[in-house]
Amino acid sequence: MKKVLFPFRLTSTRLAVATFGLLAPLVAQAQDQELKIGVVAAQSGSFVSAGNTIVAAANLAAKQINDAGGIKVGGKTYKIKLYIRDNRTDVNVTIASARELVEDIGVKAIWGTETHDFSVSMAKITGPAKVLQFSGNSSLGAVLDDKSVAPGGWLHYTFQTEPQEWQRSGSTAKGVLSLLTPLMDHPPKHSVVFVGNDATGQYLSSHYVKALEAEGQQVDLVKYPPDTTDFSPLLTRIKGMHPDIVHFWYNGDSTLTAFPQALKLDVAPAYFLFGVDPGIYAERHLKSDKPVTLSCVPVCWGSSPYPEVQNYFKNYFALGAAKGPQSSVSLLYYDYFFMYAKALEQVGSIDNPDAVVDALLKMKYQGVVSPVPLVFNAHHQVTFATEVCLVQPGTSDQFKAAVEQPPAAPPPGDTGG
Amino acid sequence: MQILIQQLINSLSVASVTILIGIGITLIFGLAGIVNFAHGEFLMVGGMVTWFLVSAGVPFFVALIGAMIVVGLLGFVAERGLFRFTLDRPMNGFIMSIGLSVILQHVVIRLFNEVQKTIPDPVGKVWVVGGVDIIAMRAVVVAITAVVVAVTYFGISRSRYGIALRASIADQDTAALMGIPVRKYVTGVFIYGSMLAGLGGALMIALFPITPFTGSVVIIRGFAVSLIGGLGNVGGAVVGGLLLGLVDGLSAGYGLPEWTDAYSLVLMIAVLIIRPQGLLGGTLGPRTS
Repeated sequence: MKKVLFPFRLTSTRLAVATFGLLAPLVAQAQDQELKIGVVAAQSGSFVSAGNTIVAAANLAAKQINDAGGIKVGGKTYKIKLYIRDNRTDVNVTIASARELVEDIGVKAIWGTETHDFSVSMAKITGPAKVLQFSGNSSLGAVLDDKSVAPGGWLHYTFQTEPQEWQRSGSTAKGVLSLLTPLMDHPPKHSVVFVGNDATGQYLSSHYVKALEAEGQQVDLVKYPPDTTDFSPLLTRIKGMHPDIVHFWYNGDSTLTAFPQALKLDVAPAYFLFGVDPGIYAERHLKSDKPVTLSCVPVCWGSSPYPEVQNYFKNYFALGAAKGPQSSVSLLYYDYFFMYAKALEQVGSIDNPDAVVDALLKMKYQGVVSPVPLVFNAHHQVTFATEVCLVQPGTSDQFKAAVEQPPAAPPPGDTGG
Repeated sequence: MQILIQQLINSLSVASVTILIGIGITLIFGLAGIVNFAHGEFLMVGGMVTWFLVSAGVPFFVALIGAMIVVGLLGFVAERGLFRFTLDRPMNGFIMSIGLSVILQHVVIRLFNEVQKTIPDPVGKVWVVGGVDIIAMRAVVVAITAVVVAVTYFGISRSRYGIALRASIADQDTAALMGIPVRKYVTGVFIYGSMLAGLGGALMIALFPITPFTGSVVIIRGFAVSLIGGLGNVGGAVVGGLLLGLVDGLSAGYGLPEWTDAYSLVLMIAVLIIRPQGLLGGTLGPRTS
């Protein structure tokens, strides 16, 4: 009899253990609610190097929040569940993705996208659905105004996670000139801004030119067709203008293509590369005997003086993110996961977006991107300093960083935004 | 004056890689009647293979040959596995090639990620002659292109195979009756054109960084060169490339810089209106009964 029962008991015990083992996670999951967050970014197509940084930042933030126990809201614990959609660098796919995330999946917030027109298109879907949207496009400043962000306005739930362009341009211009001037034969007077001729390039350069002029520079603007590969004819033209500084503006990939060509053609006595992290400068073993400054969007991977930033990039790359020219763009998205989580905890509900907007507008949050707390202004825009760094001439990996605060007001001729 | 001479030298180097891709396109269309829109991605793959090999420690000029072989094999597989089935329906082949270009982009992203790739300048010298900067690697690219153009041109116009090739273009059925293995020639030309794309990619990454999307940019210029010169005409591709390079260099130097691409395409449109067959006259693809 025992011979019969023993195996039965053993089987029962095993069954009990197995059942408990299977049910335990389900019990735990029943206690942990799911907070659905959408991410819309280019994981293919021409914006992929910027888009992938958004996804990588979202994955890192969600992992860290979930690993720390999740978000405690109204007596419940929520774990972030990301719904990542590839917009294929296509505005129509962006719109379709946003519709799916909002209407079918029911996300509470969306992070993305990488460009102005895509973000605006998405806001027309997230706004009516009262879904929060965090977009790192400074060009949103053109549409974020008193009316659009007021309750009932179409951008009431949209937040610009990058400073206003006149602020970024002002602090960048000041930082570039302060680092380059001591290394030049004479104080620089003539700058050429070299920028991609697309909507973002036109918007950004319009502010940067004004910022340089406010610093006493005579500025020429030379635009190149997007996707240019061989810059030598355009750089030869710039060389003929005899500039003191050439400012490669906005697109990191294009800058990394054009800058080595400029060095070979000996175009100018000094350079500034916007959107190029020191980390990628070192990885590429770029070297110039002329002084070169870099600024990043918004802080510098590879030379930031802040331990929090250094630690962030260590974790960021440890999770498998690619080392690209715009890796620091990820920091336009990362902190806001924690800010949003904190707002939800304060509100005590994930289903009260109006209260979450109010909480975000009142919040001061100490994140990684800035040594001072992040604060949204009345137009849902943040303000923080810009890091500019100098590459020591003749080296690839020796940098001197400067942190420049944004100016108090737009320069003459700049209407703000 | 120095700036003008510099721009003329720039024009020559701008033209070189475009000529290489233009010859590949024009040859493949001329014999097989295939409008291969994935030809730009073949070039991109050549650049990526070069980057991979150079990063692994292989000398550049060995990596260049490796890229030509790999892309030649890719061309073989594409011709045998895909385009062979569309020879009677060129539009199907064209649409298929667009699909293939997207697939190749994503395969490369999956294998190597999306970040642009670069290699150290294999020559790394700049000669200054009379105040004009001549980048040594660009001079090497121009020289290699000149050799390839000469070999291709004389191969087609003088050799026994070239005569058979031209006979196949003139009339495939009659050529086949004369004992010319037309199908093998189609495959051979596709492989040769693909190898030129591989060479173009290897030379391109020696000059500029490339991304998985580089091909979709250069293919437009490749077709512009082929159409300006006359689709199917190797000499036409050379003339078209030089003209386009000259327009690029001079318009960037003295016109509205942001319109540089537009000037080239305006030239193409003008040529196609005035001389629909291209400057040197092209073919309408292979003739079959």
